Amino acid sequence: MKSVKELEKAALEIRINLLRLCNKEVIHIGGDLSITDVMTVLWQYQMKYNPLNLQDENRDRFILSKGHASAVTCFNQAAIGCFSAEDVIREYATDEGRFSMHSCNLVNPYVEVSTGSLGHGMPVACGIAAGLRLKGNTTSRVYTVMGDGEQSEGSIWEAIINASHYRLGNLVAIVDFNGLEADGTINEVTGLGDIANKYRAFDWNVIEIDGNNISEIKEAFDSLPQPDSEYPTVIIAHTIKGKGVDFMENQVRWHAGKISDEQLKESIEKLQAEYERRWS
Amino acid sequence: MSDNKSFLRNVIGEYMTHLGDVNEKVVVVNADLSGTCRNKDFVNKYPRRSFNTGIAEQNMVSFGAGLACEGFIPYVFSMAPFLTMRACEQCRTDVAYGSRNVRMIGVYAGVSGGISGATHWAIEDCGIMTSIPNIAVFEVSDANQTKRLLDYSLEYDGPIYIRCTVEPTLNIYPETVSIKKSGSHTIIDGDDGAFLCSGVTVQYAIEASKLISEETGKKIRVVDMYSIKPVDREAVISASKTGHVIVAQDHNVYGGLGSIVATIVAEEGLTTKMKILGIKDNFVAMAHAGYLYHQFGIDGEGLRNSMLEMLK
Repeated sequence: MKSVKELEKAALEIRINLLRLCNKEVIHIGGDLSITDVMTVLWQYQMKYNPLNLQDENRDRFILSKGHASAVTCFNQAAIGCFSAEDVIREYATDEGRFSMHSCNLVNPYVEVSTGSLGHGMPVACGIAAGLRLKGNTTSRVYTVMGDGEQSEGSIWEAIINASHYRLGNLVAIVDFNGLEADGTINEVTGLGDIANKYRAFDWNVIEIDGNNISEIKEAFDSLPQPDSEYPTVIIAHTIKGKGVDFMENQVRWHAGKISDEQLKESIEKLQAEYERRWS
Repeated sequence: MSDNKSFLRNVIGEYMTHLGDVNEKVVVVNADLSGTCRNKDFVNKYPRRSFNTGIAEQNMVSFGAGLACEGFIPYVFSMAPFLTMRACEQCRTDVAYGSRNVRMIGVYAGVSGGISGATHWAIEDCGIMTSIPNIAVFEVSDANQTKRLLDYSLEYDGPIYIRCTVEPTLNIYPETVSIKKSGSHTIIDGDDGAFLCSGVTVQYAIEASKLISEETGKKIRVVDMYSIKPVDREAVISASKTGHVIVAQDHNVYGGLGSIVATIVAEEGLTTKMKILGIKDNFVAMAHAGYLYHQFGIDGEGLRNSMLEMLK
């Protein structure tokens, strides 16, 4: 089990890889960086998942509902041995590569369900969670990561109703609440309001955390109800879009983009310095 | 209901219990239309294997895809327009893209919804579903054929869409009728012309062929193209050799069986007279299906008249 320090180091490595990739290709860097800490703790601490046994019935399932966060997913898969980070950087957005702008299970076997169009992953995750229950699997969880802008999709709310109706306590949804979507702030574009209370009103177990604080994330996962419990859980992860790269933080225009060699060098130095400051 | 006709949605719904008996992986997902889709017997017999998402077709299809991810064979039921249009992207992205073993059952095919009106008609579903890669598209015309198709659906690997009329249909086939991918059934043989049909129009083609035979002695072939995609190419090539082909389906003339047949005729460089009958690319006001079939010229009389005209 990795410690908070080790997980912060792991998240630092994910961010460095994301920036290296972002120096080569346009990626959805803003939303990758906002959810990096949650994804790192999820993949490198929380999930039961053995890349050497993909058919393991007792594995946890992960569905990336915000499918454009594929880069941060790939690098976490690389970190647990599915392939190497260099594979991702070499193959990303190449014509016969395994990795691209959205998660695709036709080319990457560690992807349970292909996603990209928003509002799909969460409803499919409900079906998987119900299927696990029907098979008598009381130990696996289904994790799904959504965007905050994605909450506008009607199909998400169909699934929210459905998950509590079928008492899918083995479902853990995470909302990357970074406050920005492609066209502007969530408040300007969508007016999502009090999302936590909306989930509560639908009979969900709600956990709100600072989604860029590794300790809080770890605690949230440690405190999850057992998979055979009755209430689905949503973790509202309050995050910063572009987290860790000063010129990207909270900037709508860094939803997706590419960085220069100079920006890469400076950003990595700053990230490393911040880590050293915290842990030296 | 006379003994020689059946309601195919009842056949499907009621046969689900048998599928559930023989295969424990069979599950049913409804979107508040288990009564309309006649599968309540399954729901009552296998409550744990039955799910209802409420009036949420998109979630029904995605939920089914999720169950398929875990090895189940979900049969998702709705009216064809809601299944193929409201949940179109879910059928495409969650089911077809991942090649999930979901069986999508759409009742109220074509204008068989009649007086419910265009909101409840599916005159585009074949065009939609056949244009999505990976989905095998079938249309049923008869009770025994429907049961055998459902048996086949237990073994088939990949997504299936079945469109089903709610009009009564003639009992045509024996219990042993066989189903295969790219299959068709030639019900009446003949070399003077051919009706290529699917679903509710098959019975009308049989009627028309008999009328023409009695009146003129000409033998008009009737082929049930139950496998819309992949389609029976050889059946189209063979029918074209009669020189007189009429394709009739309870569907818009664009995107349905007629478009598929015409593509093959063109690709093969065949020379034949040909007519595609169905809904003439317009919305019409709600009316009983029988009245509408007469208006569209796809009932027995209409098909007879079109073929006789072509044979002149």
